[in-house]
Amino acid sequence: MKLAGLKSIENAHDESVWAATWVAATDSRPALLLTGSLDETVKLWRADELDLQRTNTGHCLGVVSVSAHPSGVIAASASLDSFVRVFDVDTNASIATLEAPPSEVWQMQFDPKGTTLAVAGGGSASVKLWDTATWKLIASLSIPRPEGSKPSDKSNSKKFVLSVAWSPDGRRLACGSMDGTISVFDVARAKFLHHLEGHSMPVRSLVYSPIDARVLFSASDDTHVHMYDAEGKSQVGAMSGHTSWVLSVDASPDGAAIATGSSDRTVRLWDLSMRAAVQTMSNHTDQVWGVSFRPMGGNGNRGGRLVSISDDKSISLYGYS
Amino acid sequence: MACVYIPVQNSEEEVRVALDQLPRDASDILDILKAEQAPLDLWLIIAREYFKQGKIEQFRQILEEGSSPEIDEYYAEVRYERIAILNALGAYYTYLGKIETKNRKIETKHREKEEHFIMATQYYNKASRIDVHEPSTWVGKGQLLLAKGEVEQASSAFKIVLDADRDNVPALLGQACAEFNRGRFSDSLELYKRALQVYPDCPGAVRLGIGLCRYKLGQFEKARRAFQRALQLDPENVEALVALAIMDLHPNDASGIRNGMQKMQRAFEIYPYCAMALNYLANHFFFTGQHFLVEQLTETALAVTNHGPTKSHSYYNLARSYHSKGDYEKSGLYYMASVKEINKPHEFIFPYYGLGQVQLKLGDFRSALTNFEKVLEIYPDNCETLKSLGHIYVQLGQIEKGQEFMKKAAKIDARDAEAFTDLGELLISSDTSAALEAFKTARTLMKKGGQEVPIEVLNNIGVLHFEKEEFELAQQVFMEALGDGIWLTLLDNKVNIYDIDASASILQYKDMQLFRRLEEGGHSVELPWNKVTVLFNLARLLEQFNNTEAASILYRVILFKYPDYIDAYLRLAAISKARNNLQLSIELVNEALKVNGKYPTALSMLGDLELKNDDWVKAKETFRAASDATDGKDSYATLSLGNWNYYAALRNEKRAPKLEATHLEKAKELYTRVLIQHTSNLYAANGAGVVLAEKGHFDVSKDIFTQVQEAASGSVFVQMADVWINLAHVYFAQGNFALAVKMYQNCLRKFYHNTDAQILLYLARTHYEAEQWQECKKTLLRAIHLAPSNYTLRFDAGVAMQKFSASTLQKTKRTADEVRSTVAELENAVRVFSQLSAGSNLHLHGFDEKKINTHVEYCKHLLEAAKVHREAAEREEQQNRQRQEAARQVALAEEARRKAEEQKKYLLEKRKQEDEQKRVRQLEENFERVKEQWKSSTSASKRRERPENDEDEGGHSEKRRRKGGKRKKKDKSSRSRYETQEEEADMMDDQDELEDEDANMNYRETTHQMDDQDDAAGENAQDLLAAAGLEDSDAEDEMAAPSSAAVRRRQALSESDEDEQPNPIRDNTDSDGEVRDDNDKPDEDAGLDDD
Repeated sequence: MKLAGLKSIENAHDESVWAATWVAATDSRPALLLTGSLDETVKLWRADELDLQRTNTGHCLGVVSVSAHPSGVIAASASLDSFVRVFDVDTNASIATLEAPPSEVWQMQFDPKGTTLAVAGGGSASVKLWDTATWKLIASLSIPRPEGSKPSDKSNSKKFVLSVAWSPDGRRLACGSMDGTISVFDVARAKFLHHLEGHSMPVRSLVYSPIDARVLFSASDDTHVHMYDAEGKSQVGAMSGHTSWVLSVDASPDGAAIATGSSDRTVRLWDLSMRAAVQTMSNHTDQVWGVSFRPMGGNGNRGGRLVSISDDKSISLYGYS
Repeated sequence: MACVYIPVQNSEEEVRVALDQLPRDASDILDILKAEQAPLDLWLIIAREYFKQGKIEQFRQILEEGSSPEIDEYYAEVRYERIAILNALGAYYTYLGKIETKNRKIETKHREKEEHFIMATQYYNKASRIDVHEPSTWVGKGQLLLAKGEVEQASSAFKIVLDADRDNVPALLGQACAEFNRGRFSDSLELYKRALQVYPDCPGAVRLGIGLCRYKLGQFEKARRAFQRALQLDPENVEALVALAIMDLHPNDASGIRNGMQKMQRAFEIYPYCAMALNYLANHFFFTGQHFLVEQLTETALAVTNHGPTKSHSYYNLARSYHSKGDYEKSGLYYMASVKEINKPHEFIFPYYGLGQVQLKLGDFRSALTNFEKVLEIYPDNCETLKSLGHIYVQLGQIEKGQEFMKKAAKIDARDAEAFTDLGELLISSDTSAALEAFKTARTLMKKGGQEVPIEVLNNIGVLHFEKEEFELAQQVFMEALGDGIWLTLLDNKVNIYDIDASASILQYKDMQLFRRLEEGGHSVELPWNKVTVLFNLARLLEQFNNTEAASILYRVILFKYPDYIDAYLRLAAISKARNNLQLSIELVNEALKVNGKYPTALSMLGDLELKNDDWVKAKETFRAASDATDGKDSYATLSLGNWNYYAALRNEKRAPKLEATHLEKAKELYTRVLIQHTSNLYAANGAGVVLAEKGHFDVSKDIFTQVQEAASGSVFVQMADVWINLAHVYFAQGNFALAVKMYQNCLRKFYHNTDAQILLYLARTHYEAEQWQECKKTLLRAIHLAPSNYTLRFDAGVAMQKFSASTLQKTKRTADEVRSTVAELENAVRVFSQLSAGSNLHLHGFDEKKINTHVEYCKHLLEAAKVHREAAEREEQQNRQRQEAARQVALAEEARRKAEEQKKYLLEKRKQEDEQKRVRQLEENFERVKEQWKSSTSASKRRERPENDEDEGGHSEKRRRKGGKRKKKDKSSRSRYETQEEEADMMDDQDELEDEDANMNYRETTHQMDDQDDAAGENAQDLLAAAGLEDSDAEDEMAAPSSAAVRRRQALSESDEDEQPNPIRDNTDSDGEVRDDNDKPDEDAGLDDD
């Protein structure tokens, strides 16, 4: 497996680019790339040329997260002011504005079927689930307080939820917190199942393997990527190699590799059969906040694609094979 | 059967004495000789016969009787015989003097020897008195002198004889011997040859002399033949045997040695007291390792010889024997004795070398140095000596000289791998590149020679590569050193599949099950002791590669096999500390302390961890213990204590100035102490700088920080982010914001991969002070993004936005856009603050709820104001637009009028012309045209009236406003409101000032509050470094690189220092904030009341 740099756009945004996701192809157009930045804009790009399709404004403070509905029709973007804006990808028409005060908004993720949007609720120590039809809050999955701790206990603030991930079958939801623990929920019953331990520093990104609903990858500030059996509560692997925080992790659609982006300015590709980094891309000049594989399917998809975005304001596109 | 016939006096009869039947008692014969007045030559014959039969006593008795005064009187005429007797006695005593029996003690022997020589001299003198010219007397004298070692005089004695008779064989032999002793071997050889020509039947001794001469002249074959001939003549000629044996031994091959030793043995059997043979035998037994025999033989040799060089040789043998047995004291003494026997070092240099070695061993470097230098004088290219000298110079601190010698040694023998190894070891501490080269050469040589390269050499090469940051090479070398083993299995990721219960993974770094399972799985988990260090270094390297997982496995396998390997525990602790798993880290350090409770590094680390855990009292105790464990010599522990005091000074939220001062003073004292011990300790200097800055001596502290920074940037091992920050703090405190910003940014990029929210906060604060609100806000947003759970950052962002808005509103000239963005910013600020106030209901972030609400209120209020401002601005904008429109209209009208007038003029002209041309005929037409013109001119005038109209409209509207009662009022109220608002805005500006400071205060306070939270988060990154530092100090022991070790140790300290850096300015601001707080509170309230 190999990554090959295809194109880079310098100064894609006026400020650091903090979030990126692929918007699935629809009947009328191929897949698009959605990026969000500290410059308060969300931009839509056409791959592989990385032509700017549109710039969405309307966010205040930086855009920290973007997520696209699996249908590719709608997408959501969230900013530091804790608003989530849901909009039509093609028209930029606002569909809904979501907030659940006092919970802030960090990473978000549509579930694989597209019926629910999960939003990491930061200091509320919970994940908020929004119905994508009514845009009503349907559930708040809270991480239980450790036993014996008082409500005033400072440690609770360490359960600050940063990241969320849906299992490919949509039955499980995992969220990662500042203290490094990962919590797994049964979505159907809206029930907390268990913690996955091993990290002691913030887990900023999580992703399930697309081919095995049990396998979860986590990226943490402790420079490690862990591989868990999310059902069996066990850690099955740890991959080290980054020299600074691992900010983002994504699994390739074929499930054979994962890519990570790190504060050490590199993007690494990990072969899961060897559990080792097989390639390191160092084209970025600042922290790499996001990596994302283009999902399979749709028309006009020529081979696998990986995108990375960075504090250096640039977007880089790679071919993955 | 030989007989002597003693003539009976006064008769024809003779007494027949059978020579082989001489009576045991010589008196019998003497009686006969005296009674019969036998001729003196008979006396001599009989005496000689006794001598030949070994009856020395009888021999002496006869001769002494024969030289008694009575005989002299009686035989006064018989001169020659008397002389002969005297000479015989002289020769006898010479002989006695020369040969000593082994039974006598050395002192007595010496005295007796002297006595013998005196006796001999007396006899010869007596003989001379009888006849001065008797050659045999001279020969005797010469021999006596020779025996006494007075070669020159002996030579002149022989010369006297030879001048008279150049064929006098004894004189020839004597002279030959003298020449030999004077080292004139060819002369000596000539003399021997002549003696042989003159007297072909002379004893083997002559041939021996020839042999020796030839040997000395290097004609070994001829020498050998001479010795063999001598041996043929006298199979018991010990000297010849020994000489032959030596010649056999010389080529140093096995058969030669065997032959030689056989001959030596025979010589020993023939005559057990030949020192030379004894020495050689001893030498042989030394090599065969039979030290007991060596000692016996050499002691015998020492007892039987007086010959300096031989004795020296014997002492040397003895010393060597003791040396090899490890008895350095004794061997030193014997070497010394051996050296004493040597006149000139070049005669026999070995004992000097041995002595040097022993002295080196015993630590007497200076003496060893002189001895080795003597050796070097004679063998200037001797590698061993050069190497030894190199070592000594290094030990004496003259590193450069040492290296010089080592390099010379390596150069002379470019194939001596050992020399290169030694050179490498020498250079390690001073010049890593050169050391690496030396080691590599050594490795290549050993490989070429088919030798196995020692693990130590490979380890050193690896470590040096490591130090030079050639990590790949280092890894290759380490792997080469390790060879095959369990680690290959462990490093192979495929075997590395382990299932750990995620909730139990907290124990991951202590887990040994993996190895048990491997053992169960049929792998043998073996780790030879000499590979432990290499494995440890490899693990360190893997850490450098950030392959901490593999590193941890290697550390664990070391611990699995060698549970006492403290450094591995500490590394594991450092790894888990870097991953913020403090609990596990503490456990691991405690494991290490179980092995050795006084291990200072472990104690220091524990203290650090405890500090991180906010366990202040414990941490202090631990640091104390660490300091005590090293008698206060460990600068790390001292520094830690200094840091502890520094934190303690700043920690109290309720300040106790006295306590603070005490702690600061103590911190300073500790830093100074370290600085006294290690003048170049960057960390101590940094600490001292911090304390100085704390006290407000910014210029001095800036100097210190700048120096430290310069020093730190020179080494790849030192990562001192703190000094950058401190410097930035100082710039900041001195108001040099631009530089401070640059410094903070560089530091952030250089050391933290831009991930440190705390430094971003410093940066934001600098922007804030520099009134760069947008930069400030952006920086804070970045910080929030990095540290999402740090709500104080949000608060600060809110404050920044508030301040931005306030300052914009304060501006006299502002565009509508500006005001609009101000409004947006204020809305954001309100949102941020209200979120915080809602959030702080849920969690306790240490916010003062009231304060946040105050901010919310204030921002809301400001927002109101701003909205009005915006309206006003927008209205103004509208008006501007209208005014512009009006102006445009006016301009248009003007243009139109001008055009019309022009046309009119033109037409008038035209009309005039036409008037003149066709006055009459065109009158009619003219009239019509004029009519036309008039029409257009009326429309122009209408247009001209328009502005008036406009004014009218304005007036109208005003009128309307005035007229419209209710609406007017409202308008008025809004206007008055606007005015008051305007006033308020001014007032607010004042307020802003205050509020501003208040904000500052808050800001500072939050900064302070953050300390506690951030201490945990902020240090993570630093701890990575720290871990590296600590580890390096561990590794250094293996690396045996003392000077770089010091550097690394300093690096190790970085972690503790890093903790302290944020403080100086933070503290200042705190105190500022505190002071202002009191003043601000009422003002702020007043302001709000006004609202």
